Order: sequence, then C-alpha cells, then structure tokens
Amino acid sequence: MAINLKGIISPYNALKQAGKKPHTVQYPFEKKEAAERYRGFHYNDLEECIGCGTCATICQNEAIDMIFIEGIETTNGDSGLRPRVDNGRCCWCALCVDSCPTGSLSLTKEYLHVSEDPDSFLLIPGLDNPEGKEKISWISNGNSLLDYQRVPMPELEGKERVKSFAEVVLGYSEEQARAEAARCVGCGICTDNCPVHMHIPEYINAIARGDDEMAVKIIYDNNPLGETCGKVCTRRCEEICAVSKRGEPIAIRWLKRYATEKAKNKDILKEIVNPVILPPNGHSVGIIGAGPGGLTVAYYLALRGFDVTIYEAKDHAGGMIMYGIPKYRLPLDSIEKQIEYMKSIGVKILFNTKVGKDISFNELKQKHEAIYIGIGFEVPYKLGIKGEDAEGSIQAINFLRAINSEKHVEIGNKVVVVGGGNVAIDAARVSRRLGAEVTILYRRRVEDMPADWEEIEGAEDEGVVIHPQAIPLEIITDENNKVKAIKYANAEMIPDPKGGRPRPKIIEGDEHIIEVTSVIAAIGQEADYSFLPDEVINAIEIKRGRIVVNEYQQTKLPWLFAGGDIANRRADAISAIADGYRAVQGIEKLLLNEDIKNGGRLN
Amino acid sequence: MREKETTLYFGPQHPGITGNMMVKLKVAGDTIVKAETHVGYLHRAFEKLMEQRTWMQSFPIVCRICVPEPDPNEENLARAVEEIEGREVPERAKYIRVMVLELSRLAAYFLWMGGQAGTAGLYTVPQWSVGDRDYILDLFEELTGGRIYHMYIWAGGVRRDLPGGFPDKVLRTMDYIESRLPEYDKLMFENAIFQKRAKGIGVIDKDKAMEWGVVGPPLRGCGIQHDVRKDEPYEVYDKLDFVVPTYEGGDIWARAMVRRKEMEQSISIIRQVIEKMPGGEYYNKVPNPLNWYVPPGETYVKTESARGEFGYYVVSDGSLKPRRIHVRGPAYVHGVSLLENILVGANISDVAMIMNSLGVCPPEIER
Amino acid sequence: MNKNLYNENQTIEEIKNTFHTAEIKLQRESRIIVKLRSDLIPPFLSYAKNYLAFNHLAHFSCVDWIEDNEFELVYLLYSYEKNIVVIAKTRISRDKAEFVTIKHLWRQAETYEREIHEMFGINFTGNDRLNEFILEDWDDIPPMRRDFNTIQFAKDNFYTRPGREDAQDVRETITKKSGEKIPDFAKEFSVRNLK
Repeated sequence: MAINLKGIISPYNALKQAGKKPHTVQYPFEKKEAAERYRGFHYNDLEECIGCGTCATICQNEAIDMIFIEGIETTNGDSGLRPRVDNGRCCWCALCVDSCPTGSLSLTKEYLHVSEDPDSFLLIPGLDNPEGKEKISWISNGNSLLDYQRVPMPELEGKERVKSFAEVVLGYSEEQARAEAARCVGCGICTDNCPVHMHIPEYINAIARGDDEMAVKIIYDNNPLGETCGKVCTRRCEEICAVSKRGEPIAIRWLKRYATEKAKNKDILKEIVNPVILPPNGHSVGIIGAGPGGLTVAYYLALRGFDVTIYEAKDHAGGMIMYGIPKYRLPLDSIEKQIEYMKSIGVKILFNTKVGKDISFNELKQKHEAIYIGIGFEVPYKLGIKGEDAEGSIQAINFLRAINSEKHVEIGNKVVVVGGGNVAIDAARVSRRLGAEVTILYRRRVEDMPADWEEIEGAEDEGVVIHPQAIPLEIITDENNKVKAIKYANAEMIPDPKGGRPRPKIIEGDEHIIEVTSVIAAIGQEADYSFLPDEVINAIEIKRGRIVVNEYQQTKLPWLFAGGDIANRRADAISAIADGYRAVQGIEKLLLNEDIKNGGRLN
Repeated sequence: MREKETTLYFGPQHPGITGNMMVKLKVAGDTIVKAETHVGYLHRAFEKLMEQRTWMQSFPIVCRICVPEPDPNEENLARAVEEIEGREVPERAKYIRVMVLELSRLAAYFLWMGGQAGTAGLYTVPQWSVGDRDYILDLFEELTGGRIYHMYIWAGGVRRDLPGGFPDKVLRTMDYIESRLPEYDKLMFENAIFQKRAKGIGVIDKDKAMEWGVVGPPLRGCGIQHDVRKDEPYEVYDKLDFVVPTYEGGDIWARAMVRRKEMEQSISIIRQVIEKMPGGEYYNKVPNPLNWYVPPGETYVKTESARGEFGYYVVSDGSLKPRRIHVRGPAYVHGVSLLENILVGANISDVAMIMNSLGVCPPEIER
Repeated sequence: MNKNLYNENQTIEEIKNTFHTAEIKLQRESRIIVKLRSDLIPPFLSYAKNYLAFNHLAHFSCVDWIEDNEFELVYLLYSYEKNIVVIAKTRISRDKAEFVTIKHLWRQAETYEREIHEMFGINFTGNDRLNEFILEDWDDIPPMRRDFNTIQFAKDNFYTRPGREDAQDVRETITKKSGEKIPDFAKEFSVRNLK
C-alpha cells in the first residue's frame, strides 16, 4: 500500500496553534457573566406575590412547595403562602415563571451553589436571596403562558338595546365559555371574597373540562340562585382574581351564567342538581320576605327536612331581584324558573301576605319554631331639597318596582337621575328604554361611583350622560307643581385629612339649571320595621337602621334570625344569600341540637 | 484452528459514545464472534412520566431524551401537538426553529467529531471540537437561557424572540466555524491514521440498509440519498437551498465524510435562514397550560437529527395529558440490531470507532 | 399544502383491493392509517413490504386502551420509493396479551418487540429473544400499562427526604380561612389535583 504522505504530514499543521492564545481558558481567571436570559436561581418579589401557588402546580418536578413565612399573613386576596424551591429537583424549565399570574416570580443569572448539605438546596426565592432582584434574567413579561385577555361577552348594540327590555348580555357560546374557563389557574383566592364562598375554581374547572352539569351541581351546593348571580352578581370574587393582577380577571360571573343557563327549565335543573332531600324532621320555620336571603334559607332548610313557609307581601317572589333589577338584566322567566325549582323541592311561598297586615307577627311566632326576617330596604331616602314633592319627582326604587310590575310611569322625555349606585344606573337605563334623554348627576367622581363599571359603561353606550361632581340644590316646579327643571352646583373634591376618600365641596356660584320632565332620586333606601311588635323591637338591637346579628345571623332573640340588607351593609344579592346560608347553619343547630346553652344563643 | 472464545464486557461507562451502555462481546483472539447490546443504565421512564403530566409539562422532559442534541425532541413534540390540534405556527417561529435545529446539528457534529477522533486515538481533535462547540452553546445560552437543554421550541412556536443583535452573533460564529473546518480536515479527515482506521471498517450492506432501518448519515454513507428535510420538508426546509451529501462505501469513512459535508450545509442553511427570516410574531399562544385539552388524535412526526430520522408517535385521547408518546430515536436501531450485526467479524479495537460512527446514543434507546 | 396525492391514493387503492376488511384513512399527505383485524397484520405487513415497497419498518408501538380492555399495536412503515408512512394498527385483548412476531420480515422488529414485551407484557410468539432489555430485575406489572401507578411505586420503593413537610395546600389554606366546605363530589374538580 502506498504511503499517504500528505495524510502523515498535514496533522503537524496543528502545531502552529501552539503559539496562539487559548480560546476557552483565560489567565488570570475571569468570571464569565451569564447571558441576559440565563436561567439560574429563582427570585420572587414577596410583595407582588399573592401565594396563588400556580408555580407549585405547574412544576413538573414537584420542586416547589408553598409555605408560610414569617411576617406574611393570610389575607383577603393573598393566601399568605410563598413558594420555596428545591433546587435539587428544579430543572430550570421556567414554566413556573411563565405561568406566574402576578409576574412576581423570575429567574436570575446566579447559578452557582456547591454544598454537601442537601438542605441548603431549599431556597425561598426573594427571602433567601434578596440580592437576586438586581440579577433578574428570565421574566414572563409579554411572554406569559396565561391569557390576560378576557373572552369578550357578546352584547346587544347600544342602539338596539334602548329599543326594548330584551336582555342586553347574550351569554357565552360553549366554545367561548370553555376558552374563558381555561384561563383560570384554579388557585381559589377568589373564594375568600365571595360572601357565600362558592366553590369557584371547581365549577370553572368543570366548565373547562366540558362538564357543565357538574358545574351547575357545584354552584347549587351553596347558592340556590346561581342563575341570578350569574347575571347580576356584584362579583367581588373577580376583584381579587389572581389573573387580575396583570390582566382582566376571569369572567367568573359570566361562566356561572353560562353553566346555569344550560338547565333550560326547572325539571332539567332538578335532574342536574339532583339534591338529597332529607325526610321531614318535624320542625317548622317561617321566613318573612321571598328575597334572595329568604329563598336561600327556605331552599337549604327544605332540603334538610324542615317545614318552611315564606310570607311574601307581593305577588311574585324574588324581592329586589324581581322588583329592583330591570328585566334587561334579569328576565322574568329566569327568576320564575328558579322559584319553580325551589317549590318543586318543597319550599312553600304564601304570596300577597304582608306580615303585620294580612297576618300578625305573633301569629307567625306561634306557628313556627324559628323565624328569619329578610325584608330588605324598601323605603327610599329622600333628597331633602326643595320641590321634591312635585309631580314628576320620583324615587328610583318605586319607579323600578312599577316598571317591573309592568305598570306605566310617565317620565316625559328628559330625565335626571340623582345618585351613582347600581339603582341609579338601572333607573337611568330603564328611562332610556322609555324613550327619554337621561343625565345622571353624581356628587363625586365617576371612579367613585359604587355601581359596577360594566353597568356604567353599558349606560354610556346607551347614551346616558353622566355628570359627575354635581350636587342637586333645588327642583324647580311650574304653577301646577310639576317638575320643570333642576338646579345643581358643581363640586370640587377636597382630600379628607383623616385619609378617607375625598369629599365633594360645592364651588360657590358655579350653579346651573337643566330643564327636565322628571327627577329620579336614587340615593339609598331603608327598612320598614313597623310590622314588628314593640317587645320584639325592644329585645333585638337595631343599629343605624340595621338589625344586629351574630355569625349565624341570629338576633338577640334566639329564635329570630335576620339577613340581607337589614343586617349587612353590602347591599347585594350574594351577601343576602350568604346571610341566608349562615342562618341555615344557625337554625339547624338551634332546632336539631338539644343542648344549646346561653338560652339558645349560638356563639 | 479454532481459537478459544472469551467474553469481554465493553462499557458501560461511556464506551466511546455519549451515554452509558454495554456491549457484551464474545471474542476469538482479536476478532468478535458475537455481540450483544445491554442497555438499561439510563432508563428514566420519560414516556410513562409524560402520560402523567400535562402537555406543557412534557416539554421540559422530552429534551432530556438526548444530551448532545435535545432540540429535535422538542421540535417533534411541538410539531406533533400542533398537527393534532391544527395549530398554526408563525412564519418567524419556523425560521427560528430551523436555525435552532441546525445550530444543534452543528453542536452535535462537533461532539461527534471529538468522539470519533478520540476513539481513533487522535486526542487533539476532541480538545478543539469541544471548545468550538462551546461557541454554539454560548449562542444557545443567549437565545434560550440554557446551554445544554434549551426548552425553547414548544407548541405554537418558540418561547422567546431573538435577543437584540443575535443574528450578527450567529453569523460571526458561523464565519469562525467555517474557518476552522479546514484545520479539522488537516488534523482529522486527511490524517493517514484516521483514514486507515476508518476506511473499510464497519461496513453496512447497501442493499440491506433500508430494510434494516438504517437512517441518517449511516444510510447516506451507503450512497442512499435520504433525508427527512428533503423527503418530507418540515418548517421551512422546502424554502432553503441545500444538498444532501452522500458517500459510497458504507464504512466509517463514508459516514464521517457525510457528516463533514453536512456541517458545511448546516452553516449555509443558518446563513440563509438569517437572511430570509421575516419579522412578526414568534409564538401562537396555547391555552393556559393547566387547562390545555388537546383534541383526540394521533400522528407520527419525524425530524432529521444529526444521527438520522427522529420519530415521535403521539396519541391524544382528548384529555389534559398525552395518552402515549413513543420515541423512535435513530440509535434505537443503530445501537441494537444493527450494531450487534456489524460488530461480528470486527476487531476489538474498532468497536468504539464503529459505535461512534453509527451515532449510538443510549439515552434515546431506553428513554 | 395542495400536493398531488397520486401515490397515496394508489397505495390506498391497492390495499383496499387486497384487504377488503381494512379500514383505511388518508390522514394527510404521506400519512395513511390502516386499521386491520389482528390476524391480517402479518400478511398485510408482508404484502406491504414485498409488493408495495414499504421496506422500512420505522417503528412499532403499543397503546394501552385500558377502558376498552385492549392493546393497540401500531406498525409504522415507510416507503422510500413512495415517500409515504403507513400506520398499520390492530387491537388485541388485554386478557390475552399475545401476538405473533414479525422479526422474520424486519430484524429490528426483534428489538421493538423486546421493548413492547417488557413494557406492556405482550408475548410475541416466535421471538426467542424476549429477555430482559431495559428494565432490570423487574417483578411488578409491566410499567407502561395504564394500571401501573408510578406514584405508588415511588412511595413504596423510595423515601422522601425530610425537610419539606411544612408544604401547604393553597386551596386548603384559603378554605380554612373562609370556612368554605368543598363537597366531596367537587373535590376532583380542583385544578390542583393535576398530579
């Protein structure tokens, strides 16, 4: 075989490298700075973190634990837990960072750790490496795996809406609901803010899995008016949703609406919820007022074998949700479906039976072992300005009640609504549907309005003019004592020295007059306790118009329970439902447990 | 006269390849009479683990199937999920993926070069090639945040966009690598020692190669032009201009030369990709990984890795988690049934050479 | 991609003419799924190899459909000539996990079958090399079967290093604070039950 001369000589070519500087090792030693994106140890901004635990859930190595650390408490909107990473297990895939809802978790450029002590590989990011803040490398900004955009809810166009009382919100389609439900990280932080602590992550996950019926069943576990809440809940849960830290919260309310609407009628609903109804236990409970609270008490007590009767003054059940909320938000057939379902499991409702008029309170007391009062706030506050008694000056709550009872109310074509709550917005939007031009006068700024922002936006879409920082001074009437105009003054906001919210102060001389045909006042309501006998009034405690109750909604009289607007300041349906749910526990305990001490007081 | 047979255990500590594997040899003198592959040192049950993890949680797992070249795994799983789901991938992401895949091919070839020369006793080459591979790992570090495991390509696109100035850095590295190739030629491919150790050794029968399931450079070293990038172009390979080099002979030398020529092709592909890369989105977001339901379906996807066709058979039953992900690495055939056959008759000193030239990678045999 | 599917359609036609009971689906360009009765698999594979030029057995896989009490055997064939992958599938009962070997058609099938035998416990008659492959001294049920519980296995065979017992469940922490009681039927719907 011939000698391959080239093949023998050419490798010696490499010798010329001997004179060159080495590529990889530098002397003296230079520490190599990691790349801008290097995935090293975790860093967690402990202030930003809300302890939702999504990092621990997504970690495919089970390297992350959620633990209590000193100085961080469990609060509303923060589980009080913080992640701890076992760097012996971590694979630096950074899924935890990319799926952190708040963006508090990141990776740093630091990566060197050598130790014989395995425990030293447990790192509480942020606490053990505060200096990591300066070396953050891998962040999720703009690259998050979570979806921060809500699936938009289909609605009627503003121009279409004002033509009728048709429901404005059209509801999610199945595909939209699945997509929206899929955004949830399932932490359950939201449940703390829900007055009744509904099982939110569970029913959302059921929807995401495509099991809508299970979602309904979970919803009805502690809320018998799921469909109502799905349409009109004030959804405090969404305020503290983990995803809301950086984006739009999960549309928890709309998902509840989607699921509950799947049950088209009471029979389907009953079949889906399939509640366990215990045999009668011989105890009897009376409920005054078929509002959301009263209905809740009745529903769960009936399921537990109690004999329950609701006494309702009007001819429909539902209370404020029937008479206060306009039908374009909560249609009548939806309410009726829910009431019919309750009747079908054994709830008895006596309509047109006003306690104190058609039946006396003492009679009730004799018929039932316990009584729940859920009469709500039915009597409107007055503006307290001149000309208020004129024709054309009406109270929003009376106005809405009349409209919801399908009565005609003459409001003319130019309406001013005074107030900034949901009732004011409802009155304004109803007036638009009756064909009037509507202006809302509100004392403070738009951002101070207690109404839901979606309602405010909805009103604006429909052409309602909102005039903030305007305080009504006088209603000007004509010779027939009919409303002719309203005089108001503009106000400026002055900060509260005590740190409270800023207060409006009239700007002297900045007064204006608008011509109107009606003025609708919506500045709040109070309760009418006149049906209660004096000895009951004296025995219970009423503070600032509200009955004082304990954690079981029990008044100072052990057999008397109260809830809803007359017992809490939140003025919404879900709080009334929560009160009802608590009262159920109380009444059950009181009537089924023989050895209650303190003369029947549950504490 | 028949010589006495002895049993020789070759391995399992990195027997000339990346990963732990053992070949039980029956030898008569210097000549191998029978070879039996023993694997099981690196079984991590990835396929089972992925059945118990969500789709997104599977991505950090698949890349660990192969150390020298993790990206084809990510690419395969991403493409399989996209195909089952019908998910679109932005054009820019496709270009970035091709760039990553070619960079990883280069990195893998550098590592192979070190290994192949090392088994022939040329110890300067590994020093150089591992050092030069580091420049590619630096690029990966900057692009993906990780040097070895990138966890970068996933369903819907890639995780992050290119950092500022990255294309220029890649081009500079490519220029450097290209300037180094002639040096490697002189040191290794033109080296009489290497040629003598490589030519005519470990020959695969050309007529049987396809039937035996030989893929990648060993197949092209038999003169058969087959490359997934050409036969079933994925991502944007159909828009790029490159050739599939083949060599006749079916021996170690042919396989080595195929790889050597492919390095030039890869450099050229990377340059084209950078030139043609469009702007725009780089990621078509999947749903929240905790609630990501992939519709029922199945698919077989393949990617041309540095060692040949890398296939994934993926089945989804519509749930949160994969029903089945079955990995078909090129070494699955090369390292067992092929190796056992071509080792027969070979010399003991050539075993490591042959194994390395086939691109045997135990972690992908057993996953 | 709007390509000419001539090769695919012709192949489907040929398979149809020979195997009348085959369920054939063109999944996409160069992917054909063929579902066959289990006894037709060996003749089909032999036919595909010898007459349709599917000379590359790319892969052999198995899927455990435990809910149907069946194993699905999946043969992935590739034709260099036609550039088509045929996914040939059949189902066998889990109770009688046995099938015939195809190692006489492709010798790499021996390796594939060794793996499936070890991982799923399927016996391939005619394959005399179904010995220990990847697993060592395995005496549990074949691990890739769906009823093999990895977590339980880990708990039984390994211990957890102390030091992480203080880990809390987020959902539980919140319910503890709020007093929420999650009913049992809802518990499995907690996202936190991923693992």
